[in-house]
Amino acid sequence: MRKINLLSGLLLLMTFWACGADKNDDGAAKKVAVVISTLNNPWFVVLAESAADDVRALGYEAKIFDSQNNPATESDNFENLIASGFDAILFNPTDADGSIVNILKAKAAGVPVFCMDREVNADDAATSQILSDNYSGCVELGVEFVKTLNGSGEYVELLGLVGDNNTWARSGGFHSVVDEFPGLKMVAQQSADFDRNRAMEVMETILQAQPDIKAVFCGNDAMAMGALQALQAADKIGQVRIFGFDGAADVVEKIGEGKIVATGMQYPKVMAQTAARFAHEYFEGRREFPQRIPVEVELVDAGNVAGYQQ
Amino acid sequence: MNITFNNQLLRRSQSLIALFLLCALIALLSDKFLTATNLWNVLRQISVNVCIAVGMTLVVLMAGIDLSVGSVLAFSGAVCAGLIKYGFAFESLDLFVGFTVLGGILGAMLVGLLLGLFNGWVITKFVVPPFVATLAMLTIARGMTMLYTQGIPVSNLGPELEYIGSGWLLGIPVPVWISLIVVLVFVFISRRTAFGRYIYAIGGNEKVAFLSGININRIKLAVYGLAGMLAAVGGVMVTARLNSAQPNAGMTYELDAIAAVVIGGTSLSGGVGSVTGTVIGAAIIGVLNNGLVLLNVSPFWQQVAKGVVILLAVIIDKMNRKEA
Repeated sequence: MRKINLLSGLLLLMTFWACGADKNDDGAAKKVAVVISTLNNPWFVVLAESAADDVRALGYEAKIFDSQNNPATESDNFENLIASGFDAILFNPTDADGSIVNILKAKAAGVPVFCMDREVNADDAATSQILSDNYSGCVELGVEFVKTLNGSGEYVELLGLVGDNNTWARSGGFHSVVDEFPGLKMVAQQSADFDRNRAMEVMETILQAQPDIKAVFCGNDAMAMGALQALQAADKIGQVRIFGFDGAADVVEKIGEGKIVATGMQYPKVMAQTAARFAHEYFEGRREFPQRIPVEVELVDAGNVAGYQQ
Repeated sequence: MNITFNNQLLRRSQSLIALFLLCALIALLSDKFLTATNLWNVLRQISVNVCIAVGMTLVVLMAGIDLSVGSVLAFSGAVCAGLIKYGFAFESLDLFVGFTVLGGILGAMLVGLLLGLFNGWVITKFVVPPFVATLAMLTIARGMTMLYTQGIPVSNLGPELEYIGSGWLLGIPVPVWISLIVVLVFVFISRRTAFGRYIYAIGGNEKVAFLSGININRIKLAVYGLAGMLAAVGGVMVTARLNSAQPNAGMTYELDAIAAVVIGGTSLSGGVGSVTGTVIGAAIIGVLNNGLVLLNVSPFWQQVAKGVVILLAVIIDKMNRKEA
């Protein structure tokens, strides 16, 4: 019996706290939610934490929500944060179509949503979308790829997670250029799940089946590092040229050493900063925002790598 | 007596025959499969799964399950990297402890052991089903990995650790040596020690085991502890192989380990199975992974193929048991 009394007492106390929190809300700082597709990947951790830091620097409260690459979890996150009275959402969607309904929920509740990095396929849902152009970035990489190989030779592609839309945006941009050159022949296309260890194992195996390849295109930089390790062990660094995507610090370093040819530099910090600034301007009364703002992906290769090294 | 013995022998040799058939099929389709380099690659690539799956075998033999091994692998791998690179600071005592490579490895194994023991403690003390207790640990250990690494890989850990992942000793890759030693030790433990027989007894019939005076809780605690420690050994191997601890290492490794155990003929209801069977199971998965990439099968079909193999293995096993 005493246990039950204690429990109800606690519940009562929590209700009071909840009321208290609600009352505080009016006068206190506005709250901004950062909803991120996944925190199991260093790149997205940088995006999430920069966004939260920028929000706090502007004098607001910030809280990060992890959607674990799952639109259903994302939907729960949105419901929870709308219910608990957040004033704006900086949003990195899990899915270009599946996430639209979540944004609309927030819109209906009068909460503005600013998309970062990944877009959604709707123009009237988010307040603004600040996007990294994966497709165009990989078009540029494709051009560099063709130039490096002089338009002929066998190559392989390491895909990211096959259920992830970035995987196919990157692959699509790359192939839109490379497939125009009949001399370039893709002899293997395998998934390594954006994972360094998996990329190394898959590359080890591919090298057994295809010892004559001239290049490997990797859907992110973690896989480029894994491929590099497999090629290093097989003593094929000069023979097989490596291309990555993301602009991770270790890959930039390897470009400096001439071991990796190029990567696409994305700017998570710029996207986070822009999104945070837009939220701030929204609170100040601005209502007109451009629907899509592309943040360019810059090609990093031996020619300009010095400018990217710390 | 004689009949059951023959049956057991048949079942054990069945997975071996399946492995040979699979190898023969892939060798027929690709002339690159049976090269020395490729076979060493396969052995090196399965060594992590072998370590985890051996621990999983003991757990499953007791009719338990451990879903946390992938996350425990990630956390202990990160701890290994962190200790070697940054050491450990006791801020309240104003004391800093640096770690050698061996120190880092032992630290990681201790962490794995403790997490495993915690699983065992929750399961025995509060009578929580192993599925639930280790499911909780799956997310707890993953979260701890994120907290410890802040979501960013810990890299450049020095040549000694790299040797453990990529080096060769007496013509055999070091990770293969490690998994070989693990297998030999646990084949001995499961077959030749009282502890090993108790595990089978508990899985066969927990009540009878209890009535015959076996301290069930102590055995369970030890087995979950060992499973955690073997996951940590896997964590050290993955970290050493990349010379870098990745916060998302070991995702879904628990499923590969369970698949190896099941394909190797260990019954999920406990009491029946063997460590050697699991090694063959892990080899079948490894050869399949290797063969599908060698033949450049689409990544979509690869997932289907792996599932079909698991199904076939279990169905054949079930049919055998009915006949017996």
